[in-house]
Amino acid sequence: MKKILPIAFLGAAALIFPVSVKTIFLDTPIENQMGTVQKIFYFHVPLAWIMMLLAVVCGVAAGIQLRRDSKRAEAVSIAAAELVLVTGLGVLITGPIWGHATWGKAWTWDARQVSTGLLWLIFAAYVLVRHYGAAGSERLAAALAIFGAIDVPVIYYAVKIWKTTHPSNDVAGSLPASMWAALWPALIALLLTSMALLLIRVQQELTDVTLDEAWVDLDDAGATKPNPAPGPTPATGDA
Amino acid sequence: MAAPAQTPPSDEYEPVKNLDQQTIACVRACESEAAAKTASDYEHIVWAYGVIWSLFAIYGVMLWRRGSRQAIEVADLQRRLST
Amino acid sequence: MSVAIAGPVGAPVTRSDRVTTLLGMVALRQAWLLAVNDLRQEARDLELILTSSFFSLVVLIMLGMSFSALGVSSQPLAVPGMLWLSVAFVGALTLGRIFTREREFDTLRALLVAPVERVSIYLAKAFVTLVILLGCSLITVLGLTLLFPAAQPFAQRPMATAALVLMGCTAYAGVGTLFAAGLASSSGKNVLLSVILYPLTMPSLLFALVATRSLLEGHESFTTYLGQLAATNVLAFVVGAWLFEPVLVGVPQKRRGTARAARRRR
Repeated sequence: MKKILPIAFLGAAALIFPVSVKTIFLDTPIENQMGTVQKIFYFHVPLAWIMMLLAVVCGVAAGIQLRRDSKRAEAVSIAAAELVLVTGLGVLITGPIWGHATWGKAWTWDARQVSTGLLWLIFAAYVLVRHYGAAGSERLAAALAIFGAIDVPVIYYAVKIWKTTHPSNDVAGSLPASMWAALWPALIALLLTSMALLLIRVQQELTDVTLDEAWVDLDDAGATKPNPAPGPTPATGDA
Repeated sequence: MAAPAQTPPSDEYEPVKNLDQQTIACVRACESEAAAKTASDYEHIVWAYGVIWSLFAIYGVMLWRRGSRQAIEVADLQRRLST
Repeated sequence: MSVAIAGPVGAPVTRSDRVTTLLGMVALRQAWLLAVNDLRQEARDLELILTSSFFSLVVLIMLGMSFSALGVSSQPLAVPGMLWLSVAFVGALTLGRIFTREREFDTLRALLVAPVERVSIYLAKAFVTLVILLGCSLITVLGLTLLFPAAQPFAQRPMATAALVLMGCTAYAGVGTLFAAGLASSSGKNVLLSVILYPLTMPSLLFALVATRSLLEGHESFTTYLGQLAATNVLAFVVGAWLFEPVLVGVPQKRRGTARAARRRR
């Protein structure tokens, strides 16, 4: 079941993706103001939603990890944080690509761009602490993830306030109501892909923990094993 | 009841509209601008979609390699346990 | 289980309410005692205050040299950033060293084992950090007022400036104390403190920047922005205090040999 579910998700995503591309490029009209390049949004916006969802999942899993010392929750937390980085990078790159096409400027300090960037930095810090922290720093990283999840709305609000003091003439793009129908296949395809990768990573992390415990047990068993009877000593070359 | 008056089919000369040089030049300029924008837009779209799926693919490859490493470790551990 | 007891003003008060109030007062008192102890130790050699203040001065001079050519119209845009970046750098440095004594002599473990409310330790350390940050901010604010004409409102409205600096530094102290303590107790590397602290304090930084700019420009929304900054402080302290014990002490570990396992993975 553990192996089948990620493969099933990836298979479903592979089937839905062509449907999504067809819907976006053939069935949806070209938007009036931005033109053809607006079609980037059909993947950009779901990716941003998935990133925020995974950030919250990471924080909640970290909370469970702290409360119950649960290795499953810890694995989910690590996997979700890594996927926040992947999806966040996707959002942070496709946003400027769209900005470059529309305004000729890649980074416009748009409120949503900055919010995504800040959130990405927090979870990048989490992944760094997990990789390079000392043995006892898992709880610290969990606290960081919890702060990060709580910060999802806080950052968004803070950047909005900050932006009001830096007005710009650029109008941030948004999805017109008539085009929402094209969003759902793209969202489902990306969500299934992300979930598949998340499940695979969680399973790998749990395997790592089991391997660690097995090696520690082996070490302990080797230490308590009685020494074998000494055999004839081989002739040494330095006598 | 009188039948409605029918205008006879005109065989007068009808000038073709919008074929003066200025209009043609203007229309062609707009068309080429639109074509250039569409081409540029598609280039951006291709890059954006390519980036998204490349990121997922790269992460997928990283997981694949980690999985292979783990499989080797598991085999190593099994070998040690059986000796 | 709560039992109704007649309270001091006659209204019935449940025993659980009284216990909670007493515990809260005990925690505050313990926090105060710990903080006074830390400050007294600091007053002996003034190491942290002097080095942090000197660092603020150096940062101020670097900012002055780097941005001396700014026109008068651009200064109100730049001065808030200078102030809060300076606080951020000094904050990271101070937090790293607030727990040095505990790390060197392992007194943090002693504190955790002692019959002291865990939240008192957090509040005490946060308070000491705040005191040092306020001292360094005073140097930065005075220096900026002297170096940049656009920073004159700091001198003209000292109470507003004091409130702003207090709110901003409190945010750093609240968030940073938790992670500095966590790194100190886990023999963690100090470079990770910077990796953690700067991204986490950015929302507070944004609020502080907006509030500072509205102060410099005489905007009437200054008090609103100050209120928003205060709200982030409350959030930071509530979450920090809530997470302090789980991060430092945790639940009894079911797993063993995690350090050996971590070494094996490397």
